Amino acid sequence: MNTAYVSALDVTAGLVLFAAVMTLWRRGVRTIVSILGVQGLSLSAVALVLAIHEHDTALLVTGGLVLVLKGIVIPGLLLRASRLDPKSRETRPLVNVPASLVAAAVLIVLSYVVSARITSLAPSDATRLVPLGMATILVGYFMLVTRRRAVSKIVGLILVDNGIGLVAYLLTSGVPFIVELGSSIDVLLVVVVLQFLMVSMGRHSDVDVLTERRELRD
Amino acid sequence: MTWYLVALSLGALAAIAGATLPRRVRVPVAAALGALGCAVSLVAAVGDLIDGRTILVHSDRLLPFSGVSLTLDPLAALFVVLSSLVGVAACLYLVGYAHGPSASRSAVSIFMVFVLALSVVPLASNIVSFMFAWELMALSSLLLIVTDQAQRPKARSAALWYAAMTQAGAVSITLGLLLCASRAPGQSFVDIAASSSTLSATTRTAAFVLVLLGFASKAGAVPLHVWLPKAHPEAPSPVSALMSSAMVSMGVYGIVRVGGDLLHGGTVGWWVAVAALGIVSAVYGALHATTASDFKRLLAFSTIDIMGLSLIGVGAAGVLEDSGMHADATLAMMAALLLLVAHAAFKGALFLGAGSVERATGTRNLDRLGGLVHTMPTTSVVVALSAGAIMAVPTLSGFSSEWLLLQGLLHGFTDTSTPVVIVMLLGVVALALTGGLTAVAFVKAFGIGFLGQPRSAGARDSREVSRWMGWGSALLVLPSLVLGLVPGLVVSLINRAADTGLGGVATTPVSTGAGLALSQLRGAIEPAALLGALVGVMVVLALAARTLGQRRARRVDAWGCGREEQTPRMQYTATSFAEPLQRVFADVLRPQMDVEVTHAVESRYFQQSLTYHHRIADVVEVRAYRPVFGVVHRVGVLARRLQNGSIHRYLAFGFVALLVVVVVLA
Repeated sequence: MNTAYVSALDVTAGLVLFAAVMTLWRRGVRTIVSILGVQGLSLSAVALVLAIHEHDTALLVTGGLVLVLKGIVIPGLLLRASRLDPKSRETRPLVNVPASLVAAAVLIVLSYVVSARITSLAPSDATRLVPLGMATILVGYFMLVTRRRAVSKIVGLILVDNGIGLVAYLLTSGVPFIVELGSSIDVLLVVVVLQFLMVSMGRHSDVDVLTERRELRD
Repeated sequence: MTWYLVALSLGALAAIAGATLPRRVRVPVAAALGALGCAVSLVAAVGDLIDGRTILVHSDRLLPFSGVSLTLDPLAALFVVLSSLVGVAACLYLVGYAHGPSASRSAVSIFMVFVLALSVVPLASNIVSFMFAWELMALSSLLLIVTDQAQRPKARSAALWYAAMTQAGAVSITLGLLLCASRAPGQSFVDIAASSSTLSATTRTAAFVLVLLGFASKAGAVPLHVWLPKAHPEAPSPVSALMSSAMVSMGVYGIVRVGGDLLHGGTVGWWVAVAALGIVSAVYGALHATTASDFKRLLAFSTIDIMGLSLIGVGAAGVLEDSGMHADATLAMMAALLLLVAHAAFKGALFLGAGSVERATGTRNLDRLGGLVHTMPTTSVVVALSAGAIMAVPTLSGFSSEWLLLQGLLHGFTDTSTPVVIVMLLGVVALALTGGLTAVAFVKAFGIGFLGQPRSAGARDSREVSRWMGWGSALLVLPSLVLGLVPGLVVSLINRAADTGLGGVATTPVSTGAGLALSQLRGAIEPAALLGALVGVMVVLALAARTLGQRRARRVDAWGCGREEQTPRMQYTATSFAEPLQRVFADVLRPQMDVEVTHAVESRYFQQSLTYHHRIADVVEVRAYRPVFGVVHRVGVLARRLQNGSIHRYLAFGFVALLVVVVVLA
């Protein structure tokens, strides 16, 4: 039972980080969004595995919520947004793909180094995996900074949020349900607003490449 | 205190009336309420000053922390008299002046708030109430500069200067007052005064320096004066009058209140510094006043001059008090306070008069005026008498106050300690020099602006704009006459205020009567008798001329160096009148002059046109402030490289910051 739990946790949490790195590797916007969906599913699987192991109903409900929201609703919304320009690709990221992958490796190492102290506070099968969540946050942020497409940036933002969620589940077996609900709805709202912005930006100019936009201040 | 509360309520009502009433009745109703409020507080303050009462009102509501606390002691009462006096005149003047944007809801109600704040500042007696009233005064005057004339680029830049300086000053004053109160059980001025002697000498000096910086900047002391000659001329005239007479006086009030009353005099170094500020300001202000050709700018610089003289008086009082010459100190302090009251009246009248001239002619450039004495008789009389007062013509108020100041300084020489002698000596020199320069400035202002022939169509077609404006400004001539002719009547009132300012030990260096007579020292003047004698001699001479001399007057043209036709352009202008002085003081003033000559096409020996440009920049601004702005600007340009509008860059900042935090914490 215990080894099954540990393996399940390892696989699901590992998938979250793997998905994050995959988003750096792939260029097609639709592909990236699909990978995001896979990550959402993995994240919900982490929550569900933990919930079953700890017999925690609230976490079970949270896991279900994450499954619906981050596995289905948000990727669905983003897919619809990217349908405006189905062939759009992340053609010219600010940091190219091989360099991004190297950077991701560095960030993963960094998160193992910095998470060591957190893990040592309460070593357990779950907290052992905190570096994965940390790495997901950093990789997500890296994506947010280096990708030009608006959709990629939104994906980066959600990666950060997923990473934070993963760390929270692993460290504390989930934040209180109400907090999780609030933050999930926040993310949904952000995605809706950004999607709306993206669509209206697309009407003003043909591409949603953000590099040319210098005057967002006004 | 009931009367003050009535007056304050009337002021508040005036502000509300200004903000709510429809356009047609707004200005008269608000101005009537405002003038009535000022008149009530004026009468009440004079009454309390005569009785020498100290009244206290405290309410824990209304303001946070320690509530509202108002105290009326003789020193506060004197400044209430001063600001209410100008307030009445300015409100009356406003009835005629306000139209267009200056009669808008915001302009009228903020004006009333400004008038109200001016009479609350001296009453406030704890830190919160004081700073509240102080900021109300500063912010309302700032808004008044921009509400009326926001479309003029000069007004906007002036307002910016004023805003920066006044807010920096307010910060400095707040810090200083808090430092004063660091050992006090509460925030009230009574607590501070009781506990300030337990503070260490360094703390007290630091507190005084902070407070001095703030108040000196409000009083326009050089080198903190830079905002004043920009903001005072650009404000609407009744606001200029209030700013330049009542508001600047509050700077001196603050120095006396904190230095003399709350901190009990401190060390001699403080007052030497105050006197030094005064000496520099007096000479610098007077010098710039002589060369200015914008009427209101000239008046603003002369405000710096008079505030300087008053600071010399305050500084001398502190120095003399420190060396134990209490009677002399009181004399110098009385001179400073009398000068402030006299200045409030004549400078108020001059600014109101300048406003009337600007309204009537459309310009305040003296080089374009002339001949107004025929077209604007009331304004001319007001300006002539007030200019006489500021030039210290005997029988007018400037003379009695400057005479007292001179007596205070001269009698200070009996002390032999070095700082006292140096302060007195330089003070006397500054007083003498500025006396002469002020005379030049105002002979120029009146002679060029009001006498002679009109130099522009605006001046030729001018007429008195409104009776209200005339009455408002004429009202402020009365104090100049009273203080000038029978100064002895008010001496006891000023004496009480000076005693409070010096810590409360009563002495009477000047005996009461019609004129001024020093009771413990030698020296007396009787301006009323002087005037009587003068009038008598003139009557006798006139009679003698009538009976003995030629009866028929002969009218001939003025001699024009042989030229038949004489045009207004052949008269002296303000610029040419001041040119010799400008030459003498070229090292300080640093004038910039350009002469552009266009030659005739046929021959270079003939000129087609000749243009003369002339500009005097404020040396302090150019040398001390501009370099600082340059540095700030360069830092700003560097910062703009970080802030280039690229969303990637902003995100990268966040990412790098996160990495740094993570690495540092790990």
